[in-house]
Amino acid sequence: MTVDTPKLWVEGAHKTFEGRTALAPSTLSLQPGEFVSLVGPSGCGKSTLFNLVSGLLRPDDGRIEIDGVDVTGQSGHVGYMLQKDLLVPWRSVVDNITLGAALTRGVTKADRAQAIDFARRYGLGDFLDHYPHALSGGMRQRVALMRTLATNHDLLLLDEPFGALDSQTRLEMQQWLLKVWAETQRTVLFVTHDVDESIFLSDRILVMSPRPGRIVSELVVNLPRPRTLQQMTEPDFIAVKRQILDLLHGTAAV
Amino acid sequence: MNWRTPARIFLIPVVSILLVFLVWDLIIRIFNVEPFVAPSPGEALGALRDNWSILWPLAIETIRETAYGFVLGAVLGFVLAVAMAQTRIVQGLVYPVLITSQAVPIIAIAAPLVILLGFGIWPKIVIVAWIVFFPVAVSVLGGLANVDDDLLKLAHVMGGTRSRVFFKIRLPATVSPLYSGLKIGATYAVTGAIIGELVASTGSSLAGFQRTANSSLDTPAVWGTTILMTAIGIGWFLLVVAIERLTTPWRTRSTVRRLPYRRHHD
Repeated sequence: MTVDTPKLWVEGAHKTFEGRTALAPSTLSLQPGEFVSLVGPSGCGKSTLFNLVSGLLRPDDGRIEIDGVDVTGQSGHVGYMLQKDLLVPWRSVVDNITLGAALTRGVTKADRAQAIDFARRYGLGDFLDHYPHALSGGMRQRVALMRTLATNHDLLLLDEPFGALDSQTRLEMQQWLLKVWAETQRTVLFVTHDVDESIFLSDRILVMSPRPGRIVSELVVNLPRPRTLQQMTEPDFIAVKRQILDLLHGTAAV
Repeated sequence: MNWRTPARIFLIPVVSILLVFLVWDLIIRIFNVEPFVAPSPGEALGALRDNWSILWPLAIETIRETAYGFVLGAVLGFVLAVAMAQTRIVQGLVYPVLITSQAVPIIAIAAPLVILLGFGIWPKIVIVAWIVFFPVAVSVLGGLANVDDDLLKLAHVMGGTRSRVFFKIRLPATVSPLYSGLKIGATYAVTGAIIGELVASTGSSLAGFQRTANSSLDTPAVWGTTILMTAIGIGWFLLVVAIERLTTPWRTRSTVRRLPYRRHHD
């Protein structure tokens, strides 16, 4: 495998449901270790694109490669996380983190050790034996991300993971996610409605548009890392935000 | 105030039962009802105490009938629900039978069951199971149908196998609804056993004793026996609640209960 092999390569993938185009032929590529966000209004095909990459749906045409291997229509190749934490109520924090192993091949000692290590490193050390109902929304999303990491896939698909959190918690979680991402060197494809969130987190942003769902533009976010909250009020950040808002709503609407 | 402390969990139901007895007692006193028409709670409990040596062995028999029937019905209901959840065809075939079975008046089939199964314990067990399996089947089926679709999607994306997803997600999801069904079944089980005893008992049973007391106008003994039957039903209910609390710790506790064996196990 050459260094140039993208982590994710989507070529001309499209999907229609009952004659309605959910996603027009789309092509995108993610380099290893990249953080890329998809932003766009409802119906722009974000979820369809996610379902194609995760293998929940098979594209009508086009192909999906991970590390140069064709995985079109196959599941089990990516880490996947939704706005709903989907923690299993009868499993403890550690047992929720090892859910992927439990559902595929059985949990080993190494899986548990890794889960405990993840939990301790990323702020869940005091909650290893807690049941999900005893945790706050932010904590639950942390567990959900740890569960996603523990599947040991390099590519993580995060679908509005912080969408249900209050803005204070959301800011904390964004900084925490960047730390986890930097340390674990995963590749992230991130869906959000929140323009600030996409700029703060991403290397690149793909702006999508509905009817038919498609990628209309790509922006590179050249803000230095590690990112800080101060950057969110600086001119460079605002300039990117203005560009995205123009693309989403047209110049007049800003 | 903390309403969940053990003292309160037990105290409040006891107080509410005592209040029912108090109201009952007041009605008897205010309207000056004769004991042979309707006894006061004291007279009913007194008759229960006086006949205890006869009633206790009969109660044991009723407890056995309800226990066997309850377990049989619960297992049957659970297995049916799981089978129905597997394919639409099985569900389509079994569901009408399920409903029909409950539309049949139990009293009407009790006598034919005795002809079929004899005068022993079996007709009672079958009647109890007949009553218990329905709420269990319906609630477990509901539990299996209500597993979060997104959770199943997630399991699919993770590459989960069909059997592992069933045993790790679908089946555990039926535990809470199962207990709801069992609690309903527990309170009905005694009714089933008593119907069986009324129809099928040649000799001694709680229902037989009560009928004899009734015909000799020993009304306090009739009411006392009813209290005993009711207590058996409540006993089953409490047993189910206790087992539920032990086996679903995630509903009442914030952390995993660590048992010594588990530490070695993991």
